Amino acid sequence: MTLERLDAQSVARRAAAEIAPGSVVAVSGAWAVAAADLVPEEKGVWFLRAGGTLSDLPINAADAGAALRGGHVDLSILTAAQVDSHGSFAGYHAADYPGPQGHAGLVDLASGARRVIAALPHIREDGTPNVVSALSFPQDGARCVDTIITDVAVFRVADDGLILTEVAPGWSAEEVRAITGAPVSVSPNLRDMDFDLPPGRPPSKVYADGPGAIADLPDGATVFIDGFGGPGGMAHYLLVSLRDRGSRNLTIVSNTAGIARVVSFGTPPGRTAIDHSVLVENGQVAKAIASFPVSPSVSRPSEFELAYRRGEVDLELVPQGTLAERLRAGGAGIEAFYTPTGAGTLIAEGKESRVIDGREYILEHGLRADFALIRAHQADTRGNLVYRGTSRNFNAVMAPAARVTVVEVDEIVQPGELDPEAVVTPGIFVQRIVRRPDGFTGYE
Amino acid sequence: MAFSKLYDSAQAAVADIPDGATILVGGVSGVNAPEGLLSALADRGVRDLTCVCDSNYYGAEALHRLVSAGCVSRIISPAPFTGRSDDPVHELWRAGTMTVDVVPWGTLAERMRSAGAGIGGVFLPVGIGTRFAEGRETRMVNGVECVFEAPLRGDFALIRAACADGVGNLAYEGPQRGWNSAVVSAARVAIAEVDQVVEPGGIDPELVITPGIFVNRIVQSSSVPVG
Amino acid sequence: MTDDKERLDRAIIAMRVAKELPAGSCVNLGIGIPTLVSMFVDDESVVFYHSESGVLNCGPLADEGSEDIDLINAGGQFLQSVPGMAYFSSVEAFAMIRGGHVDVTVLGAHQVSATGDLANWMLPERGVGNIGGAMDLAAGADKVIVAMEHNDRSGNPKVVQECNFPLTGRGCVSLIVTDVAVLEPTPDGMVLRETAPGWTPEEVQEVTGARLIIPDNIAEYEV
Repeated sequence: MTLERLDAQSVARRAAAEIAPGSVVAVSGAWAVAAADLVPEEKGVWFLRAGGTLSDLPINAADAGAALRGGHVDLSILTAAQVDSHGSFAGYHAADYPGPQGHAGLVDLASGARRVIAALPHIREDGTPNVVSALSFPQDGARCVDTIITDVAVFRVADDGLILTEVAPGWSAEEVRAITGAPVSVSPNLRDMDFDLPPGRPPSKVYADGPGAIADLPDGATVFIDGFGGPGGMAHYLLVSLRDRGSRNLTIVSNTAGIARVVSFGTPPGRTAIDHSVLVENGQVAKAIASFPVSPSVSRPSEFELAYRRGEVDLELVPQGTLAERLRAGGAGIEAFYTPTGAGTLIAEGKESRVIDGREYILEHGLRADFALIRAHQADTRGNLVYRGTSRNFNAVMAPAARVTVVEVDEIVQPGELDPEAVVTPGIFVQRIVRRPDGFTGYE
Repeated sequence: MAFSKLYDSAQAAVADIPDGATILVGGVSGVNAPEGLLSALADRGVRDLTCVCDSNYYGAEALHRLVSAGCVSRIISPAPFTGRSDDPVHELWRAGTMTVDVVPWGTLAERMRSAGAGIGGVFLPVGIGTRFAEGRETRMVNGVECVFEAPLRGDFALIRAACADGVGNLAYEGPQRGWNSAVVSAARVAIAEVDQVVEPGGIDPELVITPGIFVNRIVQSSSVPVG
Repeated sequence: MTDDKERLDRAIIAMRVAKELPAGSCVNLGIGIPTLVSMFVDDESVVFYHSESGVLNCGPLADEGSEDIDLINAGGQFLQSVPGMAYFSSVEAFAMIRGGHVDVTVLGAHQVSATGDLANWMLPERGVGNIGGAMDLAAGADKVIVAMEHNDRSGNPKVVQECNFPLTGRGCVSLIVTDVAVLEPTPDGMVLRETAPGWTPEEVQEVTGARLIIPDNIAEYEV
């Protein structure tokens, strides 16, 4: 073979061309990491690395895995050893990593991301093809790769096999085919490799006001709301915006269903806090999923309790820790989990139970929502959040579990102004940011 | 103070780790690992440890020392082999004196998180169609094929952090957080090797990553002879 | 016969519970009598307080006029900012509880059964109730201590053979401290450990719904 194959840097450039502005990308292996390094900061791309970083933010390894499984990663770019014509791949040469299981470094990246790109040398030093009909090395991901980038070509993985879409400069389809170990059909639009980054920048997450940020919150939506119970950590401005918008038939998922107003929970003396009651009395709530749904005082019932007694709203009662864990599961790609909480009580009725290590557990499922209306202290324009004190509570748990998370903050700052060590909620979990207007207090 | 988490030396902090214990080790590829604690453990000549760690790559000298000293009989890790000819794990594995369990890293972290959080196990959509799901309990949950993953508990967690206050609250520096903060809660006894010990209040409560409730023992790294 | 016998006040119950908290332990206190317990823990013990509102090592309540809505305990009371605190989310707060990192929780109760079943989240006549963190604490804490009045306002016993109120957890209570006795639920039944000054075991039995196992060496309530 006299034709020249691309160098590593060029393959990385071609891989980088797949990275959309503002997207979340997991990278592993030298070529993938090199691709990440080619994307300028202004593109607003997030890079997740297995060791526990999300761009400049340090994160816990369990949270990194959760981000992948939870559907928060748009694209994984991984450096593979072999790919087959169905998009299954092997990450490593079996000889390097022996034993029945070898190396598991790429399994999470392959299972979790919405889209997987494999980057690899087209052939090995001895000329053996790495793009093959059937893998000879241990498989790390089944039918997950949708694009293969090598040092001579780009393939799309279709239902019926590989389609050659691009060739390296100077290469023909026939020359690529000759060193490929799987049948290849050639795209009618076959072209030379495109090394340009996608144009543009990510759209702004900052909204001018509350009504604008929830303008598309539909009737029948499931909405996460509330901090813990008091005014601390509650997105009052968004709550009032939702009342004014009037979306109906809502399922609200919340620690309480509005108790601050009637019992002054966490409320400074002489104040009356806005709470869920504004939605309930406006007839917008069909159901609450909550751990502390009614007033602790029988003589001072909340709006929700009154509506419940009138039969106007449903209630799903959930222990507080189970609620938190179900929310985490919803955002972390955990479909179900066993908890000891509530075993042998009313909460366990109708649920699978299982004895694990001599202890009874019940099966609970993840919770997801269409919208989360959360409250934080500060956001940067990327959506990174810091909270204040105990007002972190459920807000930080809800953010990753909603399709659209809207945050109400005291202050919006520029990227780089928040200490990365202090960021609690990374911006990949926040879609919209609104500043609480001056003079808005959260009290009636 | 009648009660303190601060230990004088790494030797004292690991003195009661028995033969056969399961240890959870922080750090990634030997970077940000609790080297002083691992060295003290190797010096003690403990046998038959099960070692749960992120990976056995280049730079994992302290881990290699523990392995080469014959202290470890089982490794649970996403990447237990270095892929190089001088790998002590590979050598012992070939000789039949080392058991190796390979687990995807996100799953491994989640299994330890389950143990630390009192969860009896989780259904994860990870590794389906690979050898990591073969022979395992799987089921469809919400239309998604999942593997059941049991909690993974340790007897001791050995971790590295930047700063501890007297009550065991920990702050990390950058990527140090990744695997150290993931393993700390899953052991019966967590031992943190830190660069700096400050008075309670010396760490902003907003910047505490591992609350002291998870940390039983603290050793200042300057008291640790590295070797 | 026992109607006008003197019962201990709430502070004494709290004082007795405080003796059960080992040095260096992590403790979660529920609302009511349990909240008072922290007043009687001596400084030497270095007890770490956990609140499921998301704070560890929390201290005393805030003074009037310095309330901060971003620093509350699980009962919605305002806390002082003290050195050594750590903030965390609700998911971590309950990971600590379920994961066995909270050594002791002190809770109130409507009923406790002879084998340690706990009912404290709903009065049946109300038909709806708040679970809050109670079920997680009951399931997760290493040791669950119930601090309560021995009888309800109508005089009904709260220490019962079997709970007929909805349960919070099964077999989870390890010690009960009331205004007349200290009792220990066991798989074999309710064991009387201590009696309040002036109370005989028989008098305690009279106001108790569970059959008491009365050992030979009953101590007097010690605070």
